[in-house]
Amino acid sequence: MIDNYTRLLEVTVEIEDKAASDAAVTKLILHLKSAGRMKMLPAIVRELQKVAARRHALRPRVEVAHKKEEGEALRAAAASGIVVRYASVNPSLIFGWRARGDDMLVDRSAKQALLRIYQKSIA
Amino acid sequence: MQSIIERIEREIAAWTPSAGAEETGIVRAAGDGIAEIDGLSKAALSEMVLFDPTFDRTLAEALKDPSPIYGLILNLEEDGVRAVILGDASKIREGMLVRRLGRLLSIPVGESLIGRVVNMLGEPVDGKGPISAAHLRPIEREAYGVIDRAPVSVPLHTGIKAVDAMIPIGRGQRELIIGDRGTGKTSIAVDAIINQKSESSATRPVCIYVAIGQKESKTAKLVAELEERGAMEYTIVVTAPASAPAALQFLAPFAGATIGEYFMEQGKDALVVYDDLSKQAVAYRQMSLLLRRPPGREAYPGDIFYLHSRLLERAAKLSKEKGGGSLTALPIIETQEGDISAYIPTNVISITDGQIYLEANLFNKGQRPAINVGISVSRVGSSAQTKAMKKVAGKIKLELAQFRELEAFMQFSSDLDIETKRRIDAGRRMTEMLNQGRGVPLPFEMEAAVIFAATNGYLDSFAPEEVSAIEKKLQDYFAHEAGGVLAAIKESKEIHEVTEKTLREKLDAFLARHASA
Repeated sequence: MIDNYTRLLEVTVEIEDKAASDAAVTKLILHLKSAGRMKMLPAIVRELQKVAARRHALRPRVEVAHKKEEGEALRAAAASGIVVRYASVNPSLIFGWRARGDDMLVDRSAKQALLRIYQKSIA
Repeated sequence: MQSIIERIEREIAAWTPSAGAEETGIVRAAGDGIAEIDGLSKAALSEMVLFDPTFDRTLAEALKDPSPIYGLILNLEEDGVRAVILGDASKIREGMLVRRLGRLLSIPVGESLIGRVVNMLGEPVDGKGPISAAHLRPIEREAYGVIDRAPVSVPLHTGIKAVDAMIPIGRGQRELIIGDRGTGKTSIAVDAIINQKSESSATRPVCIYVAIGQKESKTAKLVAELEERGAMEYTIVVTAPASAPAALQFLAPFAGATIGEYFMEQGKDALVVYDDLSKQAVAYRQMSLLLRRPPGREAYPGDIFYLHSRLLERAAKLSKEKGGGSLTALPIIETQEGDISAYIPTNVISITDGQIYLEANLFNKGQRPAINVGISVSRVGSSAQTKAMKKVAGKIKLELAQFRELEAFMQFSSDLDIETKRRIDAGRRMTEMLNQGRGVPLPFEMEAAVIFAATNGYLDSFAPEEVSAIEKKLQDYFAHEAGGVLAAIKESKEIHEVTEKTLREKLDAFLARHASA
């Protein structure tokens, strides 16, 4: 039951229309009240938080080793189908960039290259 | 040091940035050897994935433990996938990157595995260095069809008189070894492996022993025994010990079958022992429950029959067009309190081509191997039995079954007629003759000669309790003074008139000597 409500809200959120989302939440609360199921609301919120956390983890992102590489990284990522506005700086990449989005990963960082060389050398 | 530097320099020189995109997912939750993964929407069932521990670490941290952990996708769900972790599950963290490998779970196969102890992934665990196997094969594949197969026609001698005489096994057959714990199931399988040493190298099968859920001490002892007897020269041990994750225990038999199939497809013979499938079924049940698949009878999942049937169906004797190789399977099932009508035993009995049933009562009475002849059967092996063995052992099974009935009857009657007493004594002598200790498999020609002596009345002048000692003397006599007869049986696989005449003369001489002594 909680899953069904959560999924319903998830679909509403996907519309990305704040007015429509607010209306959906209001209608859900009214429905829960009339059905005597207000106790389910905290569980629905927890489920939505989980969904949000999962979406956050899977959101498209571009990381660069240095800020100066941002422009090139964003252009290259967009060419691979991963479009974001900003890149975050991750010094552990050493050099280069990596992008994630829509289940895909493009990794052009020096860290990844060095790890591959290391793994090949010890294999 | 110089060579290492040169190698690294070569790798750096050869490096080019890869432009390709990889499909990845993120671990949502992990526990009990199962990982729930978000993403991987294009992944296939039974596909391998790689949990990358280096993704969110610095290079220095990553180099401390860069070894990846593999996983196997077993559930495709609406919003992600579930995979079993084929390694140290404690290293899997929430948010960890998971890469698709785009291939089914595969293991390395090849000649270089012979003599080695490997885990289910084909990685060596015997400390003898890396294995350079040239071929990689998926562990799950469809069994050969009817057209590709030939009837079972070549015997696989176990060196155990009772088995080779009454429940013969053919190359390509699936013969179940079933019984309670501690009744000698593993001993039969190990003796069968050791006995292959007596085969010529051209016909000797490659043996694969798959230890599932066993104590590592037991496996170590077994490997030591095989090494001591020179059997590791043609044996591969695949181990998924009790301490291994359930996924490895459930997949280990498939790895054994894959290795065996490689040799079968090279036109060779292979023998694979699954010790034991009860533990595999338990591991599969554990995994299925954790994957939230609906439980059925005894909480086993609905496809538990298919788990065993698709594994055992891979045993085959291939047609000449396919190279004529074979894969013989000796699955082992452990029963509880002798109950062979339980769920898993009945399943496997119905799949296999016969069973060797070992009974705790017979074991406690001192019968070795403790085979219950009445409910042990080989459905296809008789067509693979040599003419020599057929000739000497034709009626043993019937006579022993009659003896067991009379023996039961004897408990209620003290006054027996002469004929009944004679039959009971003959049965006791036969039982004594078939008694055979662990680790002393006999060559086929010696088995035939000894059984010939027993079934043709040459042991009738001895009391049943003397038969065991006399049989040992008879074996020594054949080995040292009647080698010609054994060689003739071995070569022709028959007992011709001339051979029979010589055999009788030798036996008469043995009896005369023994009587005079």
